[in-house]
Amino acid sequence: MSLYLAAFGFGLVSTSVLAIAAVGFTMQFGISNMINLAYGEVMIAAAYASYGLNNAGINIWVSLLGGAVFGSVFSYLINRVLYAPFQKKGTALIGMVIISLAASLMIANVLLPIVGYYSVSYRQNVGPTFHAGSIALTGVQLAIMGLAIVLMLVIHSLLKLTRLGKAMRATSANPTLARNCGIPTRRVIDTAWLITGALCGVAGTVAGMNSDTFAVASGAGFLISIIAAAVLGGAGNPYGAMIGALLIGEVTEISAAAFSPEYKEVAAFAILVLVMVLRPQGLLAKRGTLAAAG
Amino acid sequence: MTYYLTTLGVYAGVDIIACLALNLQFGVSGIVNFSFIVFQAAGAYTAAVLALPPDSQNGGFQHYVFGAQLPFPIPWIAAAVVGGVLSVPVGLVVLRHLRVDYQAIAMLVLSVIANLVITNARPFLNGAAGLSLVPQPLSDRFNAYSPTYLWAYVAVTFVCCALVFFVSQRIVKSPYGRTLRAMREHELAVTALGKNPVVLKMTIFVVGGVIAGLSGAILVGFITIWAPSTWLYPETLILFAAVIVGGRGNNWGALFGAALVPVGFEEATRYLPQFGPPGLVPALQWVAIGLLIIGFLWFRPKGVLPEKPGRFAAATPVVGARLTKEPGVS
Amino acid sequence: MSPSALEPTAGSAPATGTGPGVAPQPMMTVRNVERHFEGMRAVDGVSIDILPGRITGLIGPNGAGKSTLLAVLAGTLPASGGTVTFDGTDITEWPAWRRARHGMIRTFQLPSEFAELTVLENLLVAAPNHRGESLRGALLGRRYWIADERREVARARELLARFSLSAKESEYAGSLSGGQKRLIEIMRALMLQPRLLLLDEPMSGVHPSIIGEIARYLEGLRDGGLTILIVEHELHMIERLCNPVIVMAQGKVIGQGSMIELRRQREIVDAYLVG
Repeated sequence: MSLYLAAFGFGLVSTSVLAIAAVGFTMQFGISNMINLAYGEVMIAAAYASYGLNNAGINIWVSLLGGAVFGSVFSYLINRVLYAPFQKKGTALIGMVIISLAASLMIANVLLPIVGYYSVSYRQNVGPTFHAGSIALTGVQLAIMGLAIVLMLVIHSLLKLTRLGKAMRATSANPTLARNCGIPTRRVIDTAWLITGALCGVAGTVAGMNSDTFAVASGAGFLISIIAAAVLGGAGNPYGAMIGALLIGEVTEISAAAFSPEYKEVAAFAILVLVMVLRPQGLLAKRGTLAAAG
Repeated sequence: MTYYLTTLGVYAGVDIIACLALNLQFGVSGIVNFSFIVFQAAGAYTAAVLALPPDSQNGGFQHYVFGAQLPFPIPWIAAAVVGGVLSVPVGLVVLRHLRVDYQAIAMLVLSVIANLVITNARPFLNGAAGLSLVPQPLSDRFNAYSPTYLWAYVAVTFVCCALVFFVSQRIVKSPYGRTLRAMREHELAVTALGKNPVVLKMTIFVVGGVIAGLSGAILVGFITIWAPSTWLYPETLILFAAVIVGGRGNNWGALFGAALVPVGFEEATRYLPQFGPPGLVPALQWVAIGLLIIGFLWFRPKGVLPEKPGRFAAATPVVGARLTKEPGVS
Repeated sequence: MSPSALEPTAGSAPATGTGPGVAPQPMMTVRNVERHFEGMRAVDGVSIDILPGRITGLIGPNGAGKSTLLAVLAGTLPASGGTVTFDGTDITEWPAWRRARHGMIRTFQLPSEFAELTVLENLLVAAPNHRGESLRGALLGRRYWIADERREVARARELLARFSLSAKESEYAGSLSGGQKRLIEIMRALMLQPRLLLLDEPMSGVHPSIIGEIARYLEGLRDGGLTILIVEHELHMIERLCNPVIVMAQGKVIGQGSMIELRRQREIVDAYLVG
């Protein structure tokens, strides 16, 4: 039993990392109506950017900011230079998903010669370990959880309270209508990619902070959990992504404790399959995304 | 030299067969099968475990199921069957009325997970180390290392290529192929014409799976080893690049693409001096594949040899039809 | 008009509703059909009859639920409640392709031609009961299905001639104008010898100068015995073609009858009709 409680505790940290990542991912889907398969690789690239700073002696939390900036700019560029032109050209969804997979592999393979195959880790003071029964979490892990909560609140406020947030929601729901209402959709989309890119960068770095080590190869595994969380919650819906992150985060950790750590992503995959079979629009469906209606 | 040429020949043949299958699924029917490599792997593993002796032999350093030591061509036939059978549950889950990119990512995730599971389930297919010492077809009767055998293997491979090409042409040039292309263009309109899209997709998906399984059997029979590192998820993208570059929907295009991308590319870069840190050249290869895909999708999405629509004999005047001089609706 | 492509299939009701005391059996009855979508009731308890041999119009302001209703009738969207009966058979649970096989063909508001197929191929895809259309048929080779193919090519060419598009036979359907694409859609439907045609805004995206042309074709089809349901905004066309006309607003039917009768009903005029 104590094993499961401990797993539950770790699950909370996984949830936090996943929530930051999945919210960014799902918002990219919402605003641009495409699945950005390069998301995992951008996370890793940002993690390495933070590592670069961190290795030069900079404090990990400051490096985290560096990672966020890196993720933000990189994601903005990927959309502006690659995705948006193809979409403007009228490329169908079939084409976009192939392009995004190609982009993901290109990023990974540009990264590899630069950073090498071996895994690295951050120089950080993980802080004291706090215990609550069988749950044991380090200071860094608690900080990550705190960061996740703060970021969720920030995103919530952005979407509900600011004009930009409203513009983003309108553009997500119906880009043509939004444009006709005078919303500068191109700028809104660019800004959305900057913001979600920052989330991506933060997610990558905290994922690295939460692991003993990380390497370029970790990208694919991240992506699976992120996709599962986003789809489970309802693609395009940030609140759904948060719920999805909680479920996936806990299920993967608990199944790792129950069965074997190597099969963590299998649990996420199983959930993804179940969602696709039973309720493809996810728990909190966004209007008109993946609903069965053609 | 013989070994080099025959290896090249077998790889070329296997790649051609694989590209023809993917062309049927993706090029003609619009199914973005990002898990294609899994079906080739399933075929290879099937052929291997049916050809291998029980795992206690050979020093018992490998652990795998079956080990039935069956003679050629049973492992190859079984491989094709397994490829087809495996397509059924995957197709039933994924190929429903969902967004195309959604289907694609489900298959991509399947590809990653399948590799992960096989790598970690050690007794099943010997995990990360994979299978080795797979007996070549008819190696109990012939010397499998003689040039004659090697060239005969290439010949058999190309016979299979021809067979698969023949079947693919029959499909593409038939009304069934035409309906698949229509489904690719506008699935909803095809349902409005009384066709059941699930049946259409499932049949071509299974056909592709059968061919993919066969390709795996042919390859493993020659190289005698098969491990998870052989079939990582990005391998599928090389085949996609080949189909896109060669000409989506066109069987000759698939042939050309297979010769150009997996084969030509590999061979061209083989002669490049290894420069930079180790692993730089393979990494650059992947970057080049990505650029090829993106480049072609931007400049020439139909590929080098575009799909050809059906041709029909010239119209003979139809009795009773109203004849007009020029179109009334512009 | 030459009847070949337009012959109603055996068993369809021939009535146009004329003659005293003759009440034609409705071809389709819709009872209390509902369609919910994320808390919204796009179709909220609609009950109508589609009479055979007529062109029935379905009009209403934007968001009234007309296209949704058409999609539910065609099977593209499942009904959240209610029943749909076609020729006495309850088809409520039937998927779209099955309804199409039984003679109920729909068209789409946005262009739905098969862009990378030629015009002739577009029509040939529609051909029903073609031996070459199954995997088995394909594998058995040309000789097995060539007779069916020749027959269908002849039928398709006849239709193309009737609609004056023979010259475009070998062009990619994607390269045609909006009006021509619309005609391809209609011709495709006719290849199936439908009993009921469900047209979703057939005039949208079509150049005004040829709307009249399309209307003529539809009248010709009706005179040949085809039953048609049109969702449209183009009120002049509705007026010319349709009797009866059904008006919807906010998911409900608010009036039925001829346009003249409808114009007399104040609520309807207020809700929708302008002038």
